[in-house]
Amino acid sequence: MEKLLDSVKLLYSENKRLVAPLLGFPSVKMANSSIKLAQQNHKEHFKVLNLLVDKFKPDMQFVLMDLSVEANALGLNTLFPPNDSATVMRKHGEFDMDELDSLNRIEFDSDSRLLGYVKTVELMKRNFPSEVKVGAYVTGPYTLAGLIIGAEEAGLMAARDPEKLDKICAFTTECVIKYNSLLLSAGADAVCVLEPSGVMLGHSHFERFSSVYVKKVVELCHDAKSDCIYHVCGNSTHLIEKMVDSGVDGLSLDSKDAGVDIAGVAEKIPDDVIIIGNMSPTKTIVYGSPLEVEKEVTSLLGSMDTFVNYVLSTGCDLPLETPLDNISAFMETGRNYTVSV
Amino acid sequence: MSVLDVLKESVIAGDEKKVLEYTQKALDEGTALEKILDEGFIPGMEVVGNKFQANEIYVPEMLISAKAMKAGMKILEPLLTKAGVKRVGKVVIGTVKGDLHDIGKNLVAMMLEGAGFEVIDAGVDVSAQKFVDLIKETNADILGLSALLTTTMTEIKKVIDVFEEKGLRDKVKIIVGGAPLSAEYATEIEADGYSPDAASAAALAKKMVS
Repeated sequence: MEKLLDSVKLLYSENKRLVAPLLGFPSVKMANSSIKLAQQNHKEHFKVLNLLVDKFKPDMQFVLMDLSVEANALGLNTLFPPNDSATVMRKHGEFDMDELDSLNRIEFDSDSRLLGYVKTVELMKRNFPSEVKVGAYVTGPYTLAGLIIGAEEAGLMAARDPEKLDKICAFTTECVIKYNSLLLSAGADAVCVLEPSGVMLGHSHFERFSSVYVKKVVELCHDAKSDCIYHVCGNSTHLIEKMVDSGVDGLSLDSKDAGVDIAGVAEKIPDDVIIIGNMSPTKTIVYGSPLEVEKEVTSLLGSMDTFVNYVLSTGCDLPLETPLDNISAFMETGRNYTVSV
Repeated sequence: MSVLDVLKESVIAGDEKKVLEYTQKALDEGTALEKILDEGFIPGMEVVGNKFQANEIYVPEMLISAKAMKAGMKILEPLLTKAGVKRVGKVVIGTVKGDLHDIGKNLVAMMLEGAGFEVIDAGVDVSAQKFVDLIKETNADILGLSALLTTTMTEIKKVIDVFEEKGLRDKVKIIVGGAPLSAEYATEIEADGYSPDAASAAALAKKMVS
């Protein structure tokens, strides 16, 4: 599978764009299934994604977005609502570093649900049309640290006891690397590091507790000839430089409503780093009409015409209730659009 | 620097030890409780809020200031209650049903406290009925609703609808916030206000009670 940047550049030379919305949950409606079932059963997981690929033919298809995989594999209490993504129960109070020793003793990469995601990637690689890139997610080291010790505690630790947080992030990175290796061996063409908690940090904390560690994930991806993408929800504008410094191949950016000026970001970064985004996943595409979706997508595409390194996508994962007609409108508009340079 | 100036600076710096020391010093000197609030805690947290909005500090720095302020307020709270000191206002805050995220809500609660509000934290995964019960019980001026998921943000509208059904809608101002929300969405669901972050939530709440 060719690298994402090569695909992007090739299409741009033909005045076209790669179209790859962050699309997962609406598939369970199509399959008359549930998020809970799909996130726990790899065959069901593949089945629902296959329906998406069949119907919408995206250029890249990721597994269902799930920030609980690694945390759950570490034994953290996880809830599985029928129609929402699995959620890790919040931890409160000060973190005892002795707990890290206990977590270290867990055979993390033997966890059945984690291996289920790996099997899903295998099925995707074996069965999707060859032109569809297979994507997987891993949780970012700082976000995973926050899931283990509590998001508030992680924030406090960043300010009060950064050396302690370094140790925790080094541990979470080891976990993420193990999971990443399995996903790459299963055939993932791209791995996206989900670091939503990163948006709460200033750029020097972000560099210390995320970007520096994500470099290791990037190296692993590159050794496997796969791409690595960084996704930070919300207004990540102040973090762009540090995200790029990690060596990732692409930045997946949240919407204008979240505060992200995607063209502004594209102007500041090298054109060998792909920019992915950023239609709002919670407004027009959920509540508007297909015509309104077409208008908004066209406007977004138009604003990015001069940038070779752009992939049309959504700012974050589309919710379950996204109308399928609107997803079709998104895809068709993206496919039919001709870049004017 | 006066004792209250040092208290204010200690809140800004997030120095919990000094906040405790200087809160006690101010009390020992016989400083009026309202003065400790108005010239120590509140302006300190206002500076923190302004720095956050100007992107000079981020959540970790805001958290340590808020924690330091909370530590000092623990000494002051019982004294304020005993003396019957009127607070700026009363807020019930919580994350809606189905949502377990609390860091945003907690930060807002701390900023509101730092702005002089009495805050009743309902926690996470809170049903509409529980919010109704709390508002009735506390007679709060403001209800703050938080949601961090696209799947739970629709619960906010349900809460507003329940308040309408129970005839309580005009008894309380409802402000909303959370990552998937926007000012537009808040207007659509007929909330009274929206804030994109903890600092502006406190400013918005102050406007609503003034």
